Amino acid sequence: MSIPVGIEVVDPTLFTSVAPVVLAGSMCGACGAHVFPAMDSCPTCSSQDVTKVGLPTEGTVWSWTTQHFAPKPPFRTDEFAPFSIGYVDLGPVIVEGWLVGKTQWTIGEKVNLVLAKAWTHEGAPVFTFGFEATT
Amino acid sequence: MSVNTNDIFIVGAARTEFGRFDGEDNELAETAVRGALADCGLAWSDIEFAVGGTNGETKPDNLVSRLGLTGLPFVTVKNGCATGAVALMTARNGLIAEGLDVACVVGYDNHARGAFNVSPARYGLGDWYGATGMMVTTSYFALKIARYLHEFGISQRTLGYASAKAFDYAQEHPYAWRRKPVSVDEAMDADMINDPLTRFMFCAPDAGAVSLVLARGSRAYDLCETPIRLASVALRGRRPGSFEVFSPWLSPGDRTSPSIDAAKAAFDLAGITPADVQVAQLQDTDSGAEVIHLGETGLVAHGDQEAAYRNGEFDINGRLPLNTDGGLLANGEPVGASGLRQVHEIVAQLQGRADGKQVPGAPRIGFTHVYGAPGISACTVLINEGAQS
Repeated sequence: MSIPVGIEVVDPTLFTSVAPVVLAGSMCGACGAHVFPAMDSCPTCSSQDVTKVGLPTEGTVWSWTTQHFAPKPPFRTDEFAPFSIGYVDLGPVIVEGWLVGKTQWTIGEKVNLVLAKAWTHEGAPVFTFGFEATT
Repeated sequence: MSVNTNDIFIVGAARTEFGRFDGEDNELAETAVRGALADCGLAWSDIEFAVGGTNGETKPDNLVSRLGLTGLPFVTVKNGCATGAVALMTARNGLIAEGLDVACVVGYDNHARGAFNVSPARYGLGDWYGATGMMVTTSYFALKIARYLHEFGISQRTLGYASAKAFDYAQEHPYAWRRKPVSVDEAMDADMINDPLTRFMFCAPDAGAVSLVLARGSRAYDLCETPIRLASVALRGRRPGSFEVFSPWLSPGDRTSPSIDAAKAAFDLAGITPADVQVAQLQDTDSGAEVIHLGETGLVAHGDQEAAYRNGEFDINGRLPLNTDGGLLANGEPVGASGLRQVHEIVAQLQGRADGKQVPGAPRIGFTHVYGAPGISACTVLINEGAQS
C-alpha cells in the first residue's frame, strides 16, 4: 500500500493509493462480484477466492441525500454543516460516500473520486473519500 | 367453516398506548400481557408456551417474575424491526411442534429519544463508517426512496400523501402517539431532515407493548367468539441485489428485497393473492418505506402508488385501507412491539372492533408486513373464517 507520509486518512485499508486517490475493493474470482471495502470472502457466492482491487474512480450519482442534522457520535467533525451522501455507480459496484462541493444533486450526474477533509486531528487534517461533480 | 385442529388462531389481543413512558420496560409488557389474557378470559397459568421480543436490554423471559412462576418455556426473540413478527412465528411454531394448545406472545420496547445510535462494529463495519456520518438510519431511508422515486417516476408529493394519511387515521385512534392531523402541504413544507424526507415523514423511536394469545383450532372457538386464523407467517432475509441500511456498497443490476420474498411466501402459504387483501399494515418507518413496500409486497404495481393515494384507495372507505391505526409514522416504533401492533390492528379490524376508524363491510382478509435491519422481512396473512360449523 502506498500511503504517502503526510496525508492522514480515516482508514488506510479503504485505499489502494491516496495520491492519486483509488478505493480498495475486492473482486471474487468465482463469480466476479465486486465489494467495498475489501472483504476476505464473497457475500454473493460465499467463495473465499477474492483479491483486493483498485476500483474505478469515475461514475454517476445513483442516489443522493443531504444530511440536514448533525449525526450523533461516533460522527466526528470540526464544525457541522449540512453535507451530502450518495451512492455512486462505478460500474462493477455501487459505492456509498460523501458527495462534496454542493448539497443538491441529480441522479445520473457524473462524478469523480476525491479526498475530502473529515476533521482535524492534532492540528492536521484527516481525509476521507468523496465524490465531486465532474467538470 | 370446519376447524382444522392444527390451524393456529389469535384469540386474545391487547396493546398499550404508544409514546413516551417513564416506567420500566417490563411494566409495559406486563400490562399488555394481562390485557391479552383478559381479552380471552385466560389466566397466566393457562399459558403453555410464551415468546417475548424486545430490542432493548431487558430480558423478556424474566417477565415470569411478574406474571407467575408457572414453569412454562419462555423463548426470547431479538430480530430488530422484525422482532414482533418473528415472536409470533416462534409461538406458532412452538404450538405446532410441541403439540400445545395455548401460547402467549409479547413484544415491547422503551427507547430513548432521537434516531437510533448504533455502533459500526455491530454491523461488521470499520469505525470510519460511523465517524464520517454514514451510520445514520434517516439518510438510508432517504437514499432508498430517492432512488425508488426516480426509477418509477413517482413525485415527491406522494410522500406527503402517505404522511397525511397516517396522521388522519391516528387522530381517531386512542392508542396512537401522534394524533394531530398534518396536511399534505404541511408535510411537504416541514423542515427537511434528509432530502426528500421532511420531519413529518419519519417515525420516531418510542415506548409501547403489545400482546397476543394464540390457540390451536381445537380450542380457539371456546376461547374467542371471533378468533382470527393466522393463515401464514413467513420470514425472509436478504439476497444479492437488496438495498439495506448501513451498506457501504450495493451490487449493480436487478434489485431484490426480503420484503418481496416474504410477502410472496406469505401469500402462497395462505393460498391467496395480493388482490384478495382487504386491510393491510406495511412497515412505514418513513413515508418512503410505505411507498416502496406497497410495490414490493405486490399490493400496488410499482409506479401506481401516487395515483392510488390521490384516489383515496388507502382511506377507510377505499379499496385497501392501509395502516389504519396510523402506522409507525403516528405510533412511533417501539421495535419489539411494532410488528405485533400491526397484527393487533388487523385482528381488531377483522373482528369489527377497531379502536379507531373501522373498515366498513366486514373485511375477512388482512395482511401485515415488517421490514428492518440488517435486511429481513416478515409477513402474515390473517383471516376471519366466520362462525364454526
